[in-house]
Amino acid sequence: MGLNQESSEEQKKQNQNSSLGKQLPNHQVGDLGIDKQFLTAPIKSAVDKFQLLPEFLKVRGLVKQHLDSFNYFVRTEIKKIVRANNRIVASKHPNIYLRFKDVRIDKPSMMVDGTDAEVSPHYCRVSDLTYAAPIKVSIEYIQVSHGETSKKEKNDVVIGRIPIMLRSCRCILYGKDEAELAKLGECPLDPGGYFIIKGTEKVILIQEQLSKNRIIIDTDKNGNINASVTSSTEATKSKTVILMKKEKIWLQLNQFPKEVPIMVVMKAMGMESDQEVVQMLGRDPRYGSLLLPSIEECAKNSIYTQQQALDYLETKVKKSSYTSDSSEKGDRALSVLREVFLANVPVRQNNFRPKCIYVAVMIRRMMDAILNKDAMDDKDYVGNKRLELSGQLLALLFEDLFKTMIDDAKRGIDKNLEKPSRGSRFDFPYYISRDTITVGLERALSTGNWDVKRFKMHRTGMTQVLQRLSFIATMGHVTRVDPHFKKSMKVSGPRALQPSQWGMLCPCDTPEGAHCGLVKNLALMTHVTTDEEEGPLISLCYSLGVEDLELLSGEELHTPDSFLVIFNGVILGKHRRPQRFATAMRKLRRAGKIGEFVSVFVNEKQHCVYIASDGGRVCRPLVIADKGISRVKEHHMKELVDGVRKFDDFLRDGLIEYLDVNEENNSLIALYDGNATPETTHIEIEPFTILGVIAGLIPYPHHNQSPRNTYQCAMGKQAMGNIAYNQLKRMDTLLYLLVYPQRPLLTTRTIELVGYDKLGAGQNATVAVMSYSGYDIEDAIVMNKSSLDRGFGRCIVLKKFTAIKQKYENNTSDRILRPDRTGENAGRMQILDDDGLASPGEIIRANDIYINKQSPINTRRSIGSSAASLPDNAYRPSIQTFKGEGDNWVVDRVVLSSDKNTNLCFKFVMRHTRRPEIGDKFSSRHGQKGVCGTIIQQEDFPFSERGICPDLIMNPHGFPSRMTVGKMIELLGGKAGVSCGRFHYGSAFGEPSGHADKVECISETLVKHGFSYNGKDFIYSGITGCPLQAYIFMGPIYYQRLKHMVLDKMHARGNGPRVMLTRQPTEGRSRNGGLRVGEMERDCLIAYGASMLIFERLMLSSDQFQVQVCRECGLLGYYNHKLKTGICSLCKNGDSISTLSLPYACKLLIQELQSMNIVPRLKLAEA
Amino acid sequence: MEGMSYARTPRVKIRELKDDYAKFELRDTDASIANALRRVMIAEVPTIAIDLVEIEVNSSVLNDEFIAHRLGLIPLTSERAMAMRFSRDCDACDGDGQCEFCSVEFHLRAKCISDQTLDVTSKDLYSPDHTVVPVDFSDPSGEESSEQRGIIIVKLRRGQELRLRAIARKGIGKDHAKWSPAATVTFMYEPDIHINEDLMETLTLEEKRTWVESSPTRVFDIDANTHQVLVVDPEAYTYDDEVIKKAEAMGKPGLVEISAKQDSFIFTVESTGAIKASQLVLNAIEILKQKLDAVRLSEDTVEADDQFGELGAHMRGG
Repeated sequence: MGLNQESSEEQKKQNQNSSLGKQLPNHQVGDLGIDKQFLTAPIKSAVDKFQLLPEFLKVRGLVKQHLDSFNYFVRTEIKKIVRANNRIVASKHPNIYLRFKDVRIDKPSMMVDGTDAEVSPHYCRVSDLTYAAPIKVSIEYIQVSHGETSKKEKNDVVIGRIPIMLRSCRCILYGKDEAELAKLGECPLDPGGYFIIKGTEKVILIQEQLSKNRIIIDTDKNGNINASVTSSTEATKSKTVILMKKEKIWLQLNQFPKEVPIMVVMKAMGMESDQEVVQMLGRDPRYGSLLLPSIEECAKNSIYTQQQALDYLETKVKKSSYTSDSSEKGDRALSVLREVFLANVPVRQNNFRPKCIYVAVMIRRMMDAILNKDAMDDKDYVGNKRLELSGQLLALLFEDLFKTMIDDAKRGIDKNLEKPSRGSRFDFPYYISRDTITVGLERALSTGNWDVKRFKMHRTGMTQVLQRLSFIATMGHVTRVDPHFKKSMKVSGPRALQPSQWGMLCPCDTPEGAHCGLVKNLALMTHVTTDEEEGPLISLCYSLGVEDLELLSGEELHTPDSFLVIFNGVILGKHRRPQRFATAMRKLRRAGKIGEFVSVFVNEKQHCVYIASDGGRVCRPLVIADKGISRVKEHHMKELVDGVRKFDDFLRDGLIEYLDVNEENNSLIALYDGNATPETTHIEIEPFTILGVIAGLIPYPHHNQSPRNTYQCAMGKQAMGNIAYNQLKRMDTLLYLLVYPQRPLLTTRTIELVGYDKLGAGQNATVAVMSYSGYDIEDAIVMNKSSLDRGFGRCIVLKKFTAIKQKYENNTSDRILRPDRTGENAGRMQILDDDGLASPGEIIRANDIYINKQSPINTRRSIGSSAASLPDNAYRPSIQTFKGEGDNWVVDRVVLSSDKNTNLCFKFVMRHTRRPEIGDKFSSRHGQKGVCGTIIQQEDFPFSERGICPDLIMNPHGFPSRMTVGKMIELLGGKAGVSCGRFHYGSAFGEPSGHADKVECISETLVKHGFSYNGKDFIYSGITGCPLQAYIFMGPIYYQRLKHMVLDKMHARGNGPRVMLTRQPTEGRSRNGGLRVGEMERDCLIAYGASMLIFERLMLSSDQFQVQVCRECGLLGYYNHKLKTGICSLCKNGDSISTLSLPYACKLLIQELQSMNIVPRLKLAEA
Repeated sequence: MEGMSYARTPRVKIRELKDDYAKFELRDTDASIANALRRVMIAEVPTIAIDLVEIEVNSSVLNDEFIAHRLGLIPLTSERAMAMRFSRDCDACDGDGQCEFCSVEFHLRAKCISDQTLDVTSKDLYSPDHTVVPVDFSDPSGEESSEQRGIIIVKLRRGQELRLRAIARKGIGKDHAKWSPAATVTFMYEPDIHINEDLMETLTLEEKRTWVESSPTRVFDIDANTHQVLVVDPEAYTYDDEVIKKAEAMGKPGLVEISAKQDSFIFTVESTGAIKASQLVLNAIEILKQKLDAVRLSEDTVEADDQFGELGAHMRGG
């Protein structure tokens, strides 16, 4: 390692030298230690900030978003929720109550014989448990015993269990080091951030949605410009739309079935004077003229006063079928305006003024957009997006369940108190059921269905089973961002790459096909914020000179120098010197006086200052620069390397700060120190962090054609390799492992940061780029048999089979029997131990029995005698046989555990070692997949005079159209790497900062070791011994073996099963189905005139059937076996019956039509 | 070149000979013979390698097939291999069993009882036959090195155990690479380098130096005294054409003429240690002879016609 570092330093020096100019090729520093040229060179204070990254990831981990969000929920949010609903009061006896004083979440545990026992995540995975912790509350309640009430207190009352996110602050893995993790059976490289529900690992995908409580200016499908706000408060959720239609301005709200004129609404909220409304919009006559038709409309309806407006609105309010009280009727419009309309703007003591101003601002923004199309908002802009994380989603669910639990308890109490002859003692906690929360959370997490009645939320597919195909697939899965709304197919906007994604979302990693561009992945350094306390920030704003809204007239609001200060979507007031205000806020943030994730954004165009502290914003760290000079200096980095300084110290000392997408617009960010100008405010930490974890594996991605990187992102997840350190202890249903995984010769910084070098998924193959044998067309690759013999591409497939010893309602249960060593099944039971289970290490063949199980025939009716004394004939065998392709499957492990219903559960893991065969799929890290076309003996393979013989031959036609130059550089770098013994780097955009080796340097190394600078070798044909006509580009490339293997796919059928209904051959490999001659194939045969072949394929080999047809009536008859004639059931005779063969499906059709009162008649003619 | 390749009087000159390494020149023959020799060395010289593993106890981290594969790849000393029988045509046993003529039995018993990781290496493979043992890479001088401890098969932790029986058999590299005795077998054509001295003299010393340095390998050098360009090591030339391109770039095409001698080859043979490199070459020649004998014998017989069909008559006629 030390050596490695040394050489990398040398490399850096080399890079520096070459950047200084060509006059310094390997210039040795003179004996005096002074190099004049070096001294005179301009000083570029290129501080290597890379070290910040590992430090950043050390404190954060790769899934910090999930963990932070969950931690916030567990620490803060859950307390808030409980505090907001902390009382259960009996409705008839207000003095009988229960109060929740405090809530906390304990360590994860499980119930063993009524007591809590601590569990480890690994234990849960293996034995199908939920990794959950009890929610404990302290309560204070009134106990009634014999008519006397007394106040009681109780601590640690369990109200339910909540699944715990792995590696969160409540997880037992929190803060554990590698050795401790190993003891718990956990992989130290596992990122966490997921849950274990009934033994399966579940991730809550990051949900992407439009910001709540923000004004969005957009056009609807009719081309009308509108301003919409999706309000979301603890109590309600609503969507308010103000739109311009037919030159008038209307309000759209769910509570009003039809649009209502906005002027009426303004009047209803107490802004009776038209002049005031116009003033609020601003002096500009253009605004006034746009508003005029609306004002006129209002006057036409003769609405002048608040009461008139309210009466008008009353007629428009939706008639709800279950109006609670008719007396309330008069106030309905007002209450809608108060509670639903722009719910995020609070109304205190019926003061509607803030709402009026808010409406005015909305109209003004909308009018801006009408006058100037640039003022439209972009819905796809990342700054208008919020990411919802597991903590928020769980909070939503928990709140609902908690309220349901309280309601249930209340109902139970009321019922009990109503009873005249109730028990002497009345114990409050008895009515709190634990199951509501436990079951509710567990069900939501395992099905992924989020049903929150209060918000009419019905979302599906929120959770997914964590992909464990490869380590990288897991990493990719926990950083995935899913759009929760269904985007229409037509618009391309949401799918396009947004400039504001820079550094926040990976530009490469998105799937192909239907979800292209919608499903995204987080970039390496992205952080997603959690909510922050609003109160102190608001008062801070006021003390920094924000003039309160209440004190301002409409006129004052829009003076040219005034900027509105908007905090989390609520207008606080105005400020005359926005820049000064923003700088002050930022200074406080950098000093750590306010949260580091608070964003301050001055929008010059809208004359607004936006301050945001809400959760779900994406942000990333950047180095602060003063007048273009980076605050991070050499000595800071040295302190970091020495371990004196941590990443958090950088934050605390104001060297680094987090910027969200909006605030990025107020800053000028330089890529490197060198490009900074005096206007520069920030400097990037490392450019390659714009990519995500998966795209970070690609060496030299910036030299590739962009779709290639996207393809690799999809393929990297299918590569076999190591999954985790605990891979052999885990019980995955299907696991693909590589026998000899390697670390890539050409690495990137991301690979090291993520740990791909420890859990690799591929091998460094020596690749010759040449054509060979013709079995290499269409991206097929030619493989060296000796390489395969020596273990290249060899893989282990592990499959899990489960058997359950079921218990039945009549107290009987399945039983496992000692195998019968002599009976008819003895041959198939060879591998069974005396306990009736397959023995580990035995070779298992197809149709071998791996568990000798019997089930009772009668499982319903209760049996008189005890279950144990059931006679043998009361059981029927329910053996399980092994169905596996290929030879030499081996029983790897047998695990006994209990399942969800406490039945005994047997898990068998079968193992199969496979070497690559023709048709297996391989891929390099550049989106270049190919199947193995042929396998050729080593002596026939080309060789160089050094004796190098490739493992794999790739056809050069793979290059011109794909333009994967990165792959070529990888080959060069790999070759240089093996010859000089140092891992070379190919981080994205890494050449200027020394995180990617330059081709010139690589070539130099190659030449030093006697290779040609261009990586081509002089090669002899292995067949003839003659030199090849061309120099061959040859060197090591990291190849991945993908999970698609012919053994799992190959399929052919002669005779086989048929579908019951149509009597045609079944479909699909798993059902041993036939291969269909489809429409297009049929067309070809028709065109060719191969009528006999069509006849054979479509009838004889499919569903030929003999029918009796009556020539008289043309209907189908039947064959009477007694009389040995066909009989027509309509004509009641067998005189004119012919036998005809036709497809069974045709006969079926005829009969089905008959059942629908349609008579198809077959008219037979002499052939 | 004319007729030379048909002279069939190859000469061999040994340049360097170590136990596991040999370098020799093969002259006065053509590529077909040289390549045939190379191919036979890689694929058809028999050695002994573990072919059948019976695992009694395996509580190590690696699974049975994994260990069996690793065992197979361990080179075993195979001087006896030429004299042994292939197990498939062994008369003494019925072809699949084991007997002294076709197989060697190995035992391995290892259990870790200390807290330190135990390396199970090829040295732990015990065979009753001292002529067939895992190859010992250790230096005779007896210096302690990592190679001293043999090839690692698996590492054991406290309590883990590995017990197995393995049968080694004779085989050839064509069947599986584990039977290949050759680590590297390669040859090159001897280059024939002619410097056009007259043209060379037109170059300045500086030009000469840049020209000499343009070769990635050190083929040429400049005589310190006479400033003449000399060919120091023609075999270092990798047919990379760099010097020719350089000469063209300097405006002096034809400065040097390089061609490959079609009838002389420089062989490099590295053995896995199963047999000595010298023995490997000799065995290869022996096998090549046997193969040629098979062709010659069938040439005389009438059955050859049946064997080769139409080709048989064609071969004799042609």
